[in-house]
Amino acid sequence: MLRLEHVTKHFGELAAVNDLSFELEEGEVFGIAGPNGAGKTTVFNLISGFLHGSGRIYFDGRRIDGLQPHQITHLGVARTFQIPQPFNSMTVVQNLRIGEYYGVAGRSGPKKDAPWNDLAELISFVGLEGKEARPVSTLKLYDKKLTVLASALATKPRLIMLDEALGGLSAVEAEQSLELLQRLNREWGLTIIMIEHLMSALTRSCDRLLILNNGEALRIGEPRTVVEDPVVIECLVGVKHA
Amino acid sequence: MRELVEVLITGFTIGIVYFLVAVGFTLCYGVGRVLNYSYGSFFTWGAYLAWVLAVGYAELNYFLVFLIVLPITFLMGVAVDRVIIRPLRSRPEFDFSVLLATLGLAVFLDNLVLVIFGARTKSLPEFLEGSVTLAGFTISWQLLAMFIFAAVVAVILFVFMAKTRTGMSMRAVAQDPIGARIVGIPLFRVFAITFGISTMLSGAGGILLAPRFFMTPLGGWTFLVKALIIVIAGGLGSIKGTLYAGFLLGILEALVGWQLGLLWVMPVWFLVLFLVLLIRPAGLFGAVARKG
Repeated sequence: MLRLEHVTKHFGELAAVNDLSFELEEGEVFGIAGPNGAGKTTVFNLISGFLHGSGRIYFDGRRIDGLQPHQITHLGVARTFQIPQPFNSMTVVQNLRIGEYYGVAGRSGPKKDAPWNDLAELISFVGLEGKEARPVSTLKLYDKKLTVLASALATKPRLIMLDEALGGLSAVEAEQSLELLQRLNREWGLTIIMIEHLMSALTRSCDRLLILNNGEALRIGEPRTVVEDPVVIECLVGVKHA
Repeated sequence: MRELVEVLITGFTIGIVYFLVAVGFTLCYGVGRVLNYSYGSFFTWGAYLAWVLAVGYAELNYFLVFLIVLPITFLMGVAVDRVIIRPLRSRPEFDFSVLLATLGLAVFLDNLVLVIFGARTKSLPEFLEGSVTLAGFTISWQLLAMFIFAAVVAVILFVFMAKTRTGMSMRAVAQDPIGARIVGIPLFRVFAITFGISTMLSGAGGILLAPRFFMTPLGGWTFLVKALIIVIAGGLGSIKGTLYAGFLLGILEALVGWQLGLLWVMPVWFLVLFLVLLIRPAGLFGAVARKG
């Protein structure tokens, strides 16, 4: 479904992402972990069109590197940011309506299918019922994150990329978020890429895990095998595994 | 007393026109982050195009004049955004380069007026002649027509921003350009539409005010400065602030012109701006700290 071929991005001398290649199957939950500065968010920025580097990126067999962010959204790739970016002065439902309307290309463009019938159903699926008419600025962080996630879902994606969706949440909220992500995958068949620091969350919910270090793929594979790899432990924990 | 009320009515009407002119300027900054120094030139162009159609080369009815000139000034704005502003956006020093680019554009557009129409002042006749007496007060038809037209445009603008999808996308971009792109809003198209609406409002202001002030090729600069004072006093990027500041300064202009003479209008405006900023550094409705 998504394929990266020798993707590289330099910031000056520094290679933030270096010769990265991987491929995603439809319906997969794919985790990305690595130390700070490993290039995780840069990978997201390259896929979603906010940055352009070298190498090739394909979505559904179609080349998408070089496209503008909104064009990539129109193809069915959604994402969220580490710091939630809702439209604060608007209400929850207005935020979603923008995603719903602008998520598809033009009024004449091909209509994408969505697993929900209307925004009310989407709102209740993510757990924001009762807060539809609230201005987003009055919501707490967890609900802001849900609003951003729901806006991204309103664009009717087939692939969603989540940048630290659990970051800054309480243990209970993180648990609820994780459950929600699993339901998105199982019930709606959404393909998910998630960047996360919480290794337990990644091993629990991902089909495969990519460990990035200095912009390069250190390991890629079945989560439990990957996290027990001494090289990965050394990279993430910073000590040699005895 | 009667005179005071009539002056206030005039001030109120000028105020709503000033609001239209200033709101175009603030939209352009709030949504597109463009401090448009060529804004006054579109005011001049609006007025001269209207002169061409109503006086110079045809004697069209004002309604038709608006119908023709407003789309032209809209398209001029879209073209400027596409050709001049957009290529600058990828530069790191966008804020500064766009300032210089629009300044250069202003010099170009003003001199184009000079070359085509000459330096002699021109004037537009009033939309409607005569006056009407309402409850003992005499109001010219011209003023009434100005008020009605400006009010209709203002209401359309408010509804457009609040209810239509394009308006919502403009508000979304103003709040967060990155978040807007991620939900699929075509950022550059929104920038172009905003720029077009902005220059169209400037052009509309030019047509509405041309019968009151004489037209000269450099006349737009006065209104750029006025728009700047209004939006700074109201709070840069705030539509509500622009509305209040536009009325406040329009009424002030009428009062000062009546009591002290028109020469005193700008000094008093600057004094008011100074006082507003002394009390509220970000303007009447400005956010205290804007992220860059």
